[in-house]
Amino acid sequence: MKYAAKRLLMLLVTMVIVSFLAFLAFDLISGDPATAMLGTQATPESVAALREELGLNRPFLVRYGEWLLGFFTGNLGTSYNYKQPVWDLIGTKVMVTLCLSVLSFLLITMVSIPLGLWSARRAGGRLDGVRTAVNQLCMAVPPFFTGILLSWVFGVMLHWFVPGSFPGLEHFGSALKYLFFAAVAIAIPRIAMTVRMLRSTIMSEMQKDYVRTAISRGNDRGEVLRRHVLKNALVPVVTFLAQTMAEIVAGSIVVEQVFAIPGLGRMLVTSISNRDYPTVQAIVVILAFWVVLAGTVADIVNQCIDPRLRLGGDA
Amino acid sequence: MNGYLRVGLILTGFLAALILLGMFWTPYDPQAMSVGPKLAPPSLQHLMGTDKFGRDIFSRVLQGAGTTSIIALSTVAIGAVCGTAVGALTGYFGGLADEILMRLNDALTAFPSILLALVVISILGPGKKRNVILALGLVFIPSFARITRTAFASLRDANYVKSARLMGASPARILLVHILPNTVSVLLPAVTIGFNNAVLAEASMSFLCIGVTPPDASLGYMLSEAQGMLNAPWYVIGTGLMIVLMVFGVGLIGEGLQRRDKGVA
Repeated sequence: MKYAAKRLLMLLVTMVIVSFLAFLAFDLISGDPATAMLGTQATPESVAALREELGLNRPFLVRYGEWLLGFFTGNLGTSYNYKQPVWDLIGTKVMVTLCLSVLSFLLITMVSIPLGLWSARRAGGRLDGVRTAVNQLCMAVPPFFTGILLSWVFGVMLHWFVPGSFPGLEHFGSALKYLFFAAVAIAIPRIAMTVRMLRSTIMSEMQKDYVRTAISRGNDRGEVLRRHVLKNALVPVVTFLAQTMAEIVAGSIVVEQVFAIPGLGRMLVTSISNRDYPTVQAIVVILAFWVVLAGTVADIVNQCIDPRLRLGGDA
Repeated sequence: MNGYLRVGLILTGFLAALILLGMFWTPYDPQAMSVGPKLAPPSLQHLMGTDKFGRDIFSRVLQGAGTTSIIALSTVAIGAVCGTAVGALTGYFGGLADEILMRLNDALTAFPSILLALVVISILGPGKKRNVILALGLVFIPSFARITRTAFASLRDANYVKSARLMGASPARILLVHILPNTVSVLLPAVTIGFNNAVLAEASMSFLCIGVTPPDASLGYMLSEAQGMLNAPWYVIGTGLMIVLMVFGVGLIGEGLQRRDKGVA
């Protein structure tokens, strides 16, 4: 419990640092948002007035403090582009991206763990080389390519869903069906990576003495694998899955574009093109929070799995 | 030389030759419209068919793959050179700078590279080739720094390094002449992985139209164009397959290198 509390405190500190860096980075950008909003023909007076209105004239730390406070109270600033509060723009989009990410994550864990166990058992077999090559091939397939192919085959040809018209979360069933295809596109390369990682972890674990003892006592190989080895191989796998959670977010940025899913990623891309910095800033910090949170959860879970970690590091 | 390395080198060599050829000569002008019938399926005249403007897709894919490879190679060069420099210095000398840089590194490598690259590109300004290279290059520095740091730190007290130090060799000489050649076995697989990540990241960014934009056609941008022409599916398939084969070939080389160094077949 003490560990979890400490880890959560660290999470908070990391988040403050990340948000500070994000704020600083977007503050240093040469382009002046006031000029961008008014166009090049604007008079210096009107630019100055708008800078005053947007509060761009005040000291950096004051603005950061206000922004941070706003962030925790749900006030993410006003979009330059839509002249609306950022939260109104991205509120529902957060949910869409969350659904997509969770769906992809479930798909990845459910497919890759059995597949990894299977491939570790068959390691060194006749078709091992072929399996490794197939694995490399799956890692090489970019999600947006699979995404286009899936929407072509299942959308255009088989009419299982209508590409480009996301039903919206209020129709949860059909929305889930729509998101499923996007999740598959995200999952394929990540499944390949997880299987590869699981395979090498399990194989190095299989060479340990306790496994030889268990097998020499007449236990079933598969049973040893599931009961003993998997437990010991779990810690690096959990860490890797946390990394996967972060990568899913990155994958969703692109795949949302392919399937025209109105999520955070799509909003991020539009806002970058429009130089709508308050929106970009808010989305980046939310995504960063997601990444750091996944890492924290993984650390806490690992510490529950393997109490030795409690004695190890000073964290 | 194991099977992975052999197949990977053959595939990558073939593609590299094709791409190099494409930089000087393509069957048709990649930009010219109506070089053939519109939306023609693959044939002997047009190996990958034509798009709705009658442009030859094979020529376009060759040109796009050229752009993508140049960006990926420049990116990896920036990442590997700067990353190795940082990793070598911090790994060899250690100290407070090492502590701080490595904590920063841990934080940065936790983030997906495309997300970081998007942040950098939104600061530098989207849509320019130079900015894409700079953004991705910067993003790849931490991972190279981490890998080389470990290698340099582990060799810091090796006997041959100690004896070089006793003979009065300067730190620069020790780092470049004595340690660097011995880190090649970790550096080479890292370069292959970096190249693949760079190809995929560049393709993703250009697919989102914030990476490379016309007239510099890259494979990613072409895929986003192809998505609007699903009545010519060979455009999507041709372009996508090129990316897959490029990444697959280099991936096999990486796999082969890693296995060779571990001494497994």
